[in-house]
Amino acid sequence: MMNRMTKTGACLLVVLTGGCMQYLVQPTEPSLAGSPQTIRVKSYLGSELQQPPYVLAQRCQDGEQLARVLVKRDFLQGFVSWISLGLIAPATVVYTCANAGDPPLGNSSGGDGGGE
Amino acid sequence: MMARQPSFNPIKTWKNFHESYEQVIDGEFDVFMPQQSAPLSIDDLKETTRQFQTLIADARKQGRKARAIGSAWSLSRAPTTTGWALNTNRLRGRMKIDPADLDAGHSGTADQKAGLYLFQCGNTVADVNKVIESKDQRRSLFTSGAANGQTIVGATSCGTHGSALQHGALHDHIVAIHLIANGDSHFWIERKSKPVMKADWVKKLGATLKRDDDDLFNAALVSFGSFGIIQAVVIETVPRYLLETQPGIAKLDEKLWKAIGALDFAAHPFFGGLEPYFFQAVINPATDEVLLNANYQKECPADHVPKYGLTQDPKAIGPGFDALSTVGIILGAFKGLIPAFSQLAVKQLFDTQKKTGTSGQIYGYKPPLLHVASGSIAVALSDARKTLEALIQLYKDIGPVPLVLGCRYVKKSPALLAFNKFPTTLAISIDGVDSKSSRAFFAAAADRLEAKGIDYTQHWGKVNAYTKERVLKAYGGNVAKWLKARREVLPDAKDRAVFDNAYIEERGLAG
Repeated sequence: MMNRMTKTGACLLVVLTGGCMQYLVQPTEPSLAGSPQTIRVKSYLGSELQQPPYVLAQRCQDGEQLARVLVKRDFLQGFVSWISLGLIAPATVVYTCANAGDPPLGNSSGGDGGGE
Repeated sequence: MMARQPSFNPIKTWKNFHESYEQVIDGEFDVFMPQQSAPLSIDDLKETTRQFQTLIADARKQGRKARAIGSAWSLSRAPTTTGWALNTNRLRGRMKIDPADLDAGHSGTADQKAGLYLFQCGNTVADVNKVIESKDQRRSLFTSGAANGQTIVGATSCGTHGSALQHGALHDHIVAIHLIANGDSHFWIERKSKPVMKADWVKKLGATLKRDDDDLFNAALVSFGSFGIIQAVVIETVPRYLLETQPGIAKLDEKLWKAIGALDFAAHPFFGGLEPYFFQAVINPATDEVLLNANYQKECPADHVPKYGLTQDPKAIGPGFDALSTVGIILGAFKGLIPAFSQLAVKQLFDTQKKTGTSGQIYGYKPPLLHVASGSIAVALSDARKTLEALIQLYKDIGPVPLVLGCRYVKKSPALLAFNKFPTTLAISIDGVDSKSSRAFFAAAADRLEAKGIDYTQHWGKVNAYTKERVLKAYGGNVAKWLKARREVLPDAKDRAVFDNAYIEERGLAG
């Protein structure tokens, strides 16, 4: 019984996740600035063309870099990619900005907080 | 140079960090530090106050709602707004409190006076640890939640706790609060019984000092963003220490019940007759197996340099960022897989490696996972066994559920709506995968405890089944005191309406 359930569960996993993918990139100590921003992207002709040509992280301001980038493809996006033989490959990019460094420690009476 | 002004982002959908819910909003404002690379000054705090006051006044004028959003870590809808989300996670100024700025009535020891820090609301728990645990500061938080990504104000406003046996929760570090209430007023709130800053210092900040009693402070301490925007808090710290973790697995027998249900550590050989600084027991109701974690306090060498970053074996294989959403669907359809999954999940959700480090290292960065489910119920230690047995029975009645029961212990807090309201509180963290059966378990857990006549509270920042009646039953007269305190800082109903949300309305705390 358990064996049959395991097999059925495995089959369901394959069907539900077929064509999907997700890759997360982040530093060892992420310091997130602002909320995650979601951009839908499409790659055409095996990545010869991309819409938009590159993902511009416009919400990262004043020297902020990226703290986290997630590239993902859901079942529908995977299906479009599969039936078009990869000529149209949609995906979703989610990026989050990084705080631009750690502010120094201040002191309540002014100046710095003592050698941080 | 003119300070950077808030920047509007016209997004219409906001999600919490773990993406367990979505909220429709009118847009988001990113708020910036006036000076990113200079030490935080009173002028910086005044400029940020002015910016927040302008945003709050504009929201009120336009009939909108607004709330501060930190790391969006909460699994409950406590921080949500239908109006403007004011994103605070760039406000990471930090300041050491000079003992010369302390009020003459400050009753602390020299060590306590030297261990006070002001943190702006956007500092995460990780940020706080990095500052205070540095080789130069050599201080520590006395307790910490399991994660470090929450902002210090977000975590404390929702009642995050740890399991340091002789200490309160994370919010019990706070001794002063800088609250921006509306377009005209901002307050520096302390307890009458525990004055902290000199009135002159508060005057320089331009804030109104409020320390006529203890109730206002104890109300604002756990208020989930309902009193206005907490721009900064002053926290107490303790001398830096190390924790040596001792993980293990044991059967849930009578000896272990004595440790879990009465903190009698002499009863079980796992503890070797020693009382740990931190203790956690994770019960998998699908088996009789309990994952134990006892952390012992050690002296920290003066030259210790904590390293916090995540590490991983490039060849390692583990759950992906969003693995749990699919797992939840599968386990919902095939409940027979749950016991096997639970055993795997316990090892993913809870650290089972033996290690030594500062509090910030032990409760440090975790691999991110979406669609986790987590709710917590707190009871008096004297009700521990009765409550756990009731929840284990509920698990059996509902059928296997992808959840485990984590037992943690915390001392009472003076906060009026503290999750840790009992002299020794057992906080039962119900953790696992977000699924239909998990949600059914959360909903039924409160009913089951009520049927057993057990007095309990629920974690404000996690999935909870609080209603107006349940909040009243849990906190009695403290609810009226909390509402009175809210009216003291927000006397005009239109100002209160800015910070009202469905979460506090459903719990009888709005208006």
